Amino acid sequence: MMKTLFSADGLVGLLFLFNLIVTVVGGIVACNAERLVRAVIGLVVCFVGVAGIYFFLNSPFIAMMHILIYIGAVAVAISFAIMLAAPEEKMRTGPTSPLSGPIGLISTLLLISGLVSLALKTEWTSVTKINDGSVKTIGIQLLTNHSMVFELISIVLLLAILGALVIARGGREE
Amino acid sequence: MLFLPELTILGAGLLFFLLTLGQPSEATIKNCASAVAAVILFTCVLCVNQTGNLFYGAYRVDLFSQIFKILIAAATLVVFLFGNGLKGIKQDSRPEYYLFLLVSNLGLVMLVSSVELLAIFIALELSSFAVYIMVPMRTTATGIFFQMEAGIKYLLFGVMATGFMLFGMSYIFGLTGTTSLDGIAEQLPILANRPAAVVAMLMILSGFFYKLAIFPFHFWVPDVYEGAANETTAFIAAVPKMAAVALLIRLTSLASHQGEMVLNLLMVCSILSMFYGNLSALVQKDLKRMLGFSGIAHAGFILLGLLTFKLTGYASAVYYIVGYALMNLACFLVICQVAAKGENLGISDLSGLHKRAPILALTLTVALFSLAGIPPFVGFTGKFMLLLGALREDHLLLVTLAAINTAIAIYYYLSVVRMTFCSDSNGLGNVQTGFLANSLSLILVTVIIVMGVAPSWFVALAESAIKTIL
Repeated sequence: MMKTLFSADGLVGLLFLFNLIVTVVGGIVACNAERLVRAVIGLVVCFVGVAGIYFFLNSPFIAMMHILIYIGAVAVAISFAIMLAAPEEKMRTGPTSPLSGPIGLISTLLLISGLVSLALKTEWTSVTKINDGSVKTIGIQLLTNHSMVFELISIVLLLAILGALVIARGGREE
Repeated sequence: MLFLPELTILGAGLLFFLLTLGQPSEATIKNCASAVAAVILFTCVLCVNQTGNLFYGAYRVDLFSQIFKILIAAATLVVFLFGNGLKGIKQDSRPEYYLFLLVSNLGLVMLVSSVELLAIFIALELSSFAVYIMVPMRTTATGIFFQMEAGIKYLLFGVMATGFMLFGMSYIFGLTGTTSLDGIAEQLPILANRPAAVVAMLMILSGFFYKLAIFPFHFWVPDVYEGAANETTAFIAAVPKMAAVALLIRLTSLASHQGEMVLNLLMVCSILSMFYGNLSALVQKDLKRMLGFSGIAHAGFILLGLLTFKLTGYASAVYYIVGYALMNLACFLVICQVAAKGENLGISDLSGLHKRAPILALTLTVALFSLAGIPPFVGFTGKFMLLLGALREDHLLLVTLAAINTAIAIYYYLSVVRMTFCSDSNGLGNVQTGFLANSLSLILVTVIIVMGVAPSWFVALAESAIKTIL
């Protein structure tokens, strides 16, 4: 039976589609913008869409965190970096082959059609809802079942900070 | 006791973090690094017979993981010892360099024990990030100015491969509803005929293909090998590849029910890696770049063992990667000693090495003969076992192509040997080698020969270790 657009499911589907489009459009802007600042804005739009998808997947906490961390912190950090470094606009890499566009397009279309048909034809096991996705259960999970990952991530972050400092400290050697 | 090696590495990392805060002398840093690496190896050996689960089943300590930890620790010790005072690294960031090396080591050691997809992913990232940072730390005083480019290339290709891996993991989770390897192993045989399971498995494998530099994921190899400092390249060429083989064994043993499709793809990757690596190596002038391309070819050989999906095949793959690490360490030991200022070496820079440094010339010759697959060295025995294993599974075409590749490879390995022995030194001065480097190179030569002549004990050990995870 076809669901009508104005039933509850139809409207939810429409909103989901909207989030999806926002994500894709943001991604395209981020990849194709001439100026770096515009690319960052594209990234922000993309992140908003992804946060919306998390919301639909029953994880409001993750959606909130996504907005807080990625838009609130990461995008701002990137903007700071752009302002501090003042990169030259319109830096183009070396000449590209005229064939690279069509070949890239064809292989992308092949990949997309393959993945789409794969996703549609597979019977996915509907994962039972493990928990209510609240902050409390996420915290308990992080400190029990996933405690090792939780601890290792902190080392990864420390490493990233140290690495950035070490590489940036001396400036460029000329 | 279960977690002692990891804790030791963490402690060593902290020690070097403290060292980075002060201004320690060169000798202090070097001695600390060697001592710390020796202690780590000692704790790994001490914990070899431990078994148990940690972190709610995400981390498993068994003979398989412990043996790989010993191998990783031993290879790192060798890298630390022949580092030659880290000539190629910026002077003010040498303690940090050791810190990153230790963190990368921690990631690899945790990787071989992880039995849960998320843990595998994070451990792999930890080990990779540290290496990404180590590549651009090379000083421009060596006359090389593209270390930043090499680092960025390494990072971007790495992120791409990791993205594929994560996407594959999400498929696996969608199909099975679990992230633990045990749970996946239970459910995969039921899902075997679904294309999504095959695609997911291949995507996960691609993350480790990248580490091992197998054909479609090899693009970083030449530039990173050439752009990174000699010591860094020695580490990249030997240590992460062992961990990658360990994880490929864990994962392909899961994929063994998926039959023809995975097998065929692994075969194609193997053949392409061998031909691409060997044919590109033929024309290289830079020694490290040549070793990089030869590494791609050797990775193809290792796939020969994995795609048998049999115990003996896996054991010979382990034997081969250990032998490969030994040969590479020997080569890079020579490179680090001959390149007194940490510069890149062209093949012509080795001319007349037999007069300038006889022991190094001997080491290089043994290592290259072994890489070429000439008896009685470890490279020959490894290739022999891999080809025999593949032949037993009726992959005749694959074995024939691999044999042709061995013949191609002999040319470029032996042309380096010819340069070492049959040309004048062209005014190049003698190479100063210390007692440590000399004894280390003799030890490596001995191990390469002994493992080649008497492989059975190691293969038996590897088989008993792999039995614990099958």
